[in-house]
Amino acid sequence: MHFSQGVHRLHGGTAVINALGVVVIVFVLGGYSLLITQTGTGIALILTPEVVARFVLVMLPVAVVASIVGFWTWWSVKFWISGDDLMVETGILRRRNRRVPLSRMQAVDVVRPLVTRVFGLAEVRVELAGGDQAETKFRYLGRAMAERLRAELLARAAGLPGQTPEAPERPYWRVGFGTLLGSQLLKLPVIGALLLLVSLLAFGVVFGEPGVLAAALPVLLGLARGVIAPLVMHTGFTAALSPDGLRLRYGLVETRMQTVPPGRVQAVRVVEPLLWRGYGWARVDVTVAGYVGERQALSSVLLPVAPRHIAFQMVGLVFPGTSAEAVRLLPASRSWLRAPFQKGAAGTDDALFVTQRGRMCRRLDVIAHARAQSVRLTAGPLQRLLNLGTVHVDAPPGPVQVAAENRDLGEARAIAESAAGRAHRARVTDVRTDRWAT
Amino acid sequence: MPPGSPRILPPGAAPAAQRGPMPPPPAPSGPAGPSPVPIGGRAEQAFDPPSGMVWARVSSRLTWHRRIAVLLWALPVTIVGAFVLSRMIGLAGGLIWLAVIFVGCAMGWIAAELGYRSWGFAERADDLLVTHGFFVRHLVVVPYGRMQYVDVTAGLLEQWLGVATVRLHTAAAATDARIPGLPARDAAVLRDRLARKGEARSIGL
Repeated sequence: MHFSQGVHRLHGGTAVINALGVVVIVFVLGGYSLLITQTGTGIALILTPEVVARFVLVMLPVAVVASIVGFWTWWSVKFWISGDDLMVETGILRRRNRRVPLSRMQAVDVVRPLVTRVFGLAEVRVELAGGDQAETKFRYLGRAMAERLRAELLARAAGLPGQTPEAPERPYWRVGFGTLLGSQLLKLPVIGALLLLVSLLAFGVVFGEPGVLAAALPVLLGLARGVIAPLVMHTGFTAALSPDGLRLRYGLVETRMQTVPPGRVQAVRVVEPLLWRGYGWARVDVTVAGYVGERQALSSVLLPVAPRHIAFQMVGLVFPGTSAEAVRLLPASRSWLRAPFQKGAAGTDDALFVTQRGRMCRRLDVIAHARAQSVRLTAGPLQRLLNLGTVHVDAPPGPVQVAAENRDLGEARAIAESAAGRAHRARVTDVRTDRWAT
Repeated sequence: MPPGSPRILPPGAAPAAQRGPMPPPPAPSGPAGPSPVPIGGRAEQAFDPPSGMVWARVSSRLTWHRRIAVLLWALPVTIVGAFVLSRMIGLAGGLIWLAVIFVGCAMGWIAAELGYRSWGFAERADDLLVTHGFFVRHLVVVPYGRMQYVDVTAGLLEQWLGVATVRLHTAAAATDARIPGLPARDAAVLRDRLARKGEARSIGL
C-alpha cells in the first residue's frame, strides 16, 4: 500500500485514546467525588448500589459524548500524497485543506509518548519553515504505518519514487547512560544546587528545624527540571547517518525519531561547559527552521554529550566539506580602554562564519555562508565612543546566534561586507536542498 | 523629493583614525535617486554607503510623523499628570510636570529630525542595504534571494501624511529590515521592484 493511492485515515485507536482522554479528564475534574460519601468522621469510599448508580448515571452520558468526540477526531482527518505534495484534509463541518510541498519539508519526527506505546501507535510530525502553525501532525498512526509514511515522505522529497524502500542507515554515535548522567551532573549550576541542597538538609537535621524543607523543595524541583528531565529525554541517544539525512533516536518515556534531511540545518552551536573540558566533552545544538516555539527546546539537540572531536565531525557532517575547527579565530581588538569589552573571537573562511563566546561555558556558533539570511552591523553609543561594532550573521529563530562582538568599527564593516559577498558566492554554488537524491 | 532636504556634502568629511581595512570612501556621485542628506560626524565611516553609491533618503515627512506622534502621546500624559500632581502637591507640582513634559517634547522634536536623517538605503546588484538609528547605529545587508516577502504598511497618521513603511521579511526574525517614511507611491514601486528581484534570485531556505 502506498500513500499516493487512495485516501488514508488515522489509526482507529486514535478514537479510543481521545475518548479515554476525555473520560479521564472529566473523572479527575469532578467525577471521582460522586464515588465518595460524607461520613461522620470524614469521607470514605463506600460502594453502595445508590452511589454506583449515581456515578454511572453521570459518567455514562460523558462516555457517550467522549466516544462521539473520539470518533469525530478520527473521522475528520484524511490525507494522501498527490505528486510532490502531501495533502491533508481536516474538519467535517468546516473543511480545511492543506497542501504541503514536500520539497519544503524541513524535518520529519516520529514521536511515541508512553500512552500511545501501549497501543502500538505513533505520532508523525512534518515540519515546515514558517512559524508555530506550520507543523503538520498525524496523531496517531499505527507504528508500521508511521514508519512507512516517514519513508515515503522522505523518498518523495528526495525525488525518488514512493515505493523506494527505506534508505539504509549507518550508526554513527551512541551516548552511554553513564556519560549522559555524568555530563548532566558536571555543571557548575548543578553542583552549586546540590551543595545548597545538602547544606540545607544538614542544617535541618543538626538543628532539628523542619522549616528548611520549604527552602529545599524549590531547589529539588530545579534539579529535577535541570538534570532529570534532560536525562530522561535523552536516554539511549543514537545518531545515525543515511542518504535521507541525520537520524536521531532518543527518549526513555517518550521516544522520538527525528530525521533532518540534508541541507536543513541552518546553524550549529558547540557548547563546552567549564567542567566538561577536563573530559573533552561537548554538546551540539542546531537551528532547524521548522523547530520553533516549544518544539525548539524539545528537538534542537544534535548530540547531548560527545567527545570534542566527534562533535566537530558532526558539524562537518551537517555542513559537508567544511571544518569548523580549522577556521582561525581572531580575538576582538585589544586596548586598555576596551578591557570590559574584550570578549569573544570570530573567524571566517569561504564556507563558514564562526564566533566564540564565554570564558566559563565556551560556545562556538557556526553558520554556513550559504545559509545566512542577512548580515547586520550594530554599534551602541558606548561602543561608538570606543570605535567598536558588532557583526551579526542572522539565522532563522533557534538556539544559535552568530555574532562577532566588539570588533574595531572599520574591521566590523569589512567583516560585514566580506560576509555578504561570501554568502552571495556560496549561495550560487550551494547544494540542492530539494530532490537531493536525483 | 522631500522639501528642504537636498544638501550635498562629501560623506565622512572628518574621518576618524581607522585601523582595520576600510572600504574606500564613497564618491559623492551616485545613481540618480532621492537626494542624500549626509550623516555628519566622525567614526561613522563604518556606516557609509557602499563605494560608488549614496544612501537613498526617505521623505522628510517622517520627521513630522514622529513629531506628531510625540505630541499625541504627550497630550494625555500632560493633562492627566498635571491634574494629579496639582491635586497632590499644588500648583508648583503641575508646573514642574509641564516643564518636564516640555523638555521631553523638545528632545523628541530633535530626536525625530536626527532619526529621520539616519535612515538610508541602497540597492546593490544582489542585496539591499539599510542603515538607521541615531543612538544605536544599524546597518543591515539583506540578499534579495533571502526575502520571503515584502510588506507595505501605513498607519492612520502615515496615511494622512502620505507615507508608508516597506518591510522586508526573511526567515530570520532578527533581520528587521524596514524603510519607513517613503512616499506612498515610491513605497509601492520599491516593493514591486524588491519582490521582482527576490523572485529572480530566490533560492528557498
